[in-house]
Amino acid sequence: MAQFVIPKRDETKEMRYYMGYALADLAYEYDRIIAVDADLRSSSGLHIFEHFHPAKLVKVGIAEQNLIAVAAGLSQEGYIPFPCTFDAFSRRFMDQLYVTVAYSNLNVKVLGAYPGLFTGKAGATHQSDKELGIILRIPNLTVIEPGCNLEMAQALRCSVEKHGPFYFRIVRCEVEYNEIFEGYQFEIGKGVTVYDEGTDIGLVSTGYMIRTAKIAAQKLTRRGIGVRVDHHPTLKPFDRELLYDLAKRVSCIITLENHCTSGGLFSLVAEALAVRGIGVPVGAIGTDPDDFIHTGHVNDLLYRYQMTSDHVVEKALALLGQKDKAQ
Amino acid sequence: MKTQMVESAHREALVKQDRPFDPFDASLFWKPFRKNTRQRYDVLPFHPDYPELLKSCEVLAYLIRSYTVWEMTCGALGHPGGSFSEAECLAVLFNYVLRFDPQDPKWPMRDVFYLSKCHACPGLYTTLALFGYFPIQKLKYYGAWGSGLESHPDCIVTPGIEVSGGSLGQIPGVAVGRALGIRYNGPDHNDRMVYVLMGDGECNEGSVWEAFMAAGHWKLDNLVAIIDYNKVEAKGFLSQDMSIEPLADKLHAFNFQVFEAQNGHNVAELVDIFNRIGAQRKGKPTALILNTIKGKKVRECQYNPNWHTSAPRNVETAGMWLGELWDQDGRRLGIPKEFHLALKQAIEIVPPMHGNPDEIYERQA
Repeated sequence: MAQFVIPKRDETKEMRYYMGYALADLAYEYDRIIAVDADLRSSSGLHIFEHFHPAKLVKVGIAEQNLIAVAAGLSQEGYIPFPCTFDAFSRRFMDQLYVTVAYSNLNVKVLGAYPGLFTGKAGATHQSDKELGIILRIPNLTVIEPGCNLEMAQALRCSVEKHGPFYFRIVRCEVEYNEIFEGYQFEIGKGVTVYDEGTDIGLVSTGYMIRTAKIAAQKLTRRGIGVRVDHHPTLKPFDRELLYDLAKRVSCIITLENHCTSGGLFSLVAEALAVRGIGVPVGAIGTDPDDFIHTGHVNDLLYRYQMTSDHVVEKALALLGQKDKAQ
Repeated sequence: MKTQMVESAHREALVKQDRPFDPFDASLFWKPFRKNTRQRYDVLPFHPDYPELLKSCEVLAYLIRSYTVWEMTCGALGHPGGSFSEAECLAVLFNYVLRFDPQDPKWPMRDVFYLSKCHACPGLYTTLALFGYFPIQKLKYYGAWGSGLESHPDCIVTPGIEVSGGSLGQIPGVAVGRALGIRYNGPDHNDRMVYVLMGDGECNEGSVWEAFMAAGHWKLDNLVAIIDYNKVEAKGFLSQDMSIEPLADKLHAFNFQVFEAQNGHNVAELVDIFNRIGAQRKGKPTALILNTIKGKKVRECQYNPNWHTSAPRNVETAGMWLGELWDQDGRRLGIPKEFHLALKQAIEIVPPMHGNPDEIYERQA
């Protein structure tokens, strides 16, 4: 029997481990929760769930298609399955997710571990920064990318309480417990303004990038530029109202996502603005849609794709300058 | 016997009166074998009802094929090959094996039946209609916008469909998860079973073997995987394109107990096998290989990949098929000739709801 190290709850800030705890907690409350693992449990955090609920972890072996299919079958007997594998392997089960789970509107909650960068030196095969292009276009599916541990735990609870298929992107790296504000309560389909210090530029973030957005916002504020940061944990359905409210007030917008700059958050924002004829310039921070994420230290990857807060500041200044010239 | 005489007198009266024959009143010559489809009713060969069971299944298979011809022609859509090769299997399953309730399709104590070869859903839709899930007349609108009878089944809009599908190889895994869920739910007074009917070509999909591996590993003895081994896939023959042989050996190796029907169109053999499956649970999942013929009982479809996807293109062809079916089965089973003639008369290719201002031309498959 493999023995995995169980990190202590109050000593870990990694979202994957926190997810293991959050799901284990929920399973005490909702006895129909069951987790499904495709031989990645100590990487995805499900080993913590297994530690508390050894009988509630179904192991399908290295078989991602079967992971989703078996979860679908379990959901039809009244269970609330949480199949979990690397987000990158969504490429292997996309059809099962589309046809079996979403088309049938089954109560399956897919956990995509290791999305985007921040996955160690995983490389192109194990990092995923393109999959939202299709996942965000699957009917019935709710897609959530939480930005902090509190939000992740609240989102998991919401998914249990609402029937239907969900997809979560759960990062591997450390995140704060609460990045938003004291007393925040996650709501499906609702974005939240986390920083409101002026209206020169709006930053729209999702998932982990809330942290980068907040750091960039503080740097811009120090330069005397007014910034508002909106965080969108739910990508589908996307909170267009909050975006329109932002677009009314600011002169340009930058989107920040732990995904490539096509098919994900940037596309959602651009589409929403275009249909209303809102001509606010939008800059995009994210990985390159035309590149595989090669192996490297996360610092080097962030520089390669220009995703640090310094790059956000640079982009903001350029956008604001452009706007001045246009006038 | 008495009821039979009354029925035949009723039929004769209908014909004599020269009233137009109603081809949609199947109750004139067929009714479900079991009065209560929520319950099993075991019938072994010495049972007094055995001949009636076989006849009822044969008539049902004939009706499945005939109504399916009508349905596909009206819809200008369908997969006759697979629908005809599975007809006897569907007939025996619904008439004898499965426990279900058309008035309450989600009855929690039902047996689960998945059609994994979803393209063969015209045959399944007909079966569901004959058991009362929805009116038979509705089959006419198969594939029409808003009909609730999708090209490949949608479990949200069609009662009796357990899961949506159409992309092959996915549902065996769902069946495995379902069987596992039934086991996890603990002692189950109805001893519920999960049946999944798959195609032979579908077994080319890797996900099928992922599912089989899991079923064998978990020893799911409440799972029955039925393989409609009709030897033909969409564009060719399995033996030439990608053989699945030795199939029985593979299934044994995946820890299944394997049954094989030498003739998957022989309802007596199917009844016998399902009796044995029901009586022996060996702590393993069960596989049933049905040796069938693709397009069975319609000469031009038989063993012919060209009729994998193609509805009859016109009323004449459909009428010919209906005639062939009546010659082989209807006549010997005592179905009046008027039935198939009236069914032919009832064919009406359902037009689209809208015009075509841009003159887009699309050929029927």
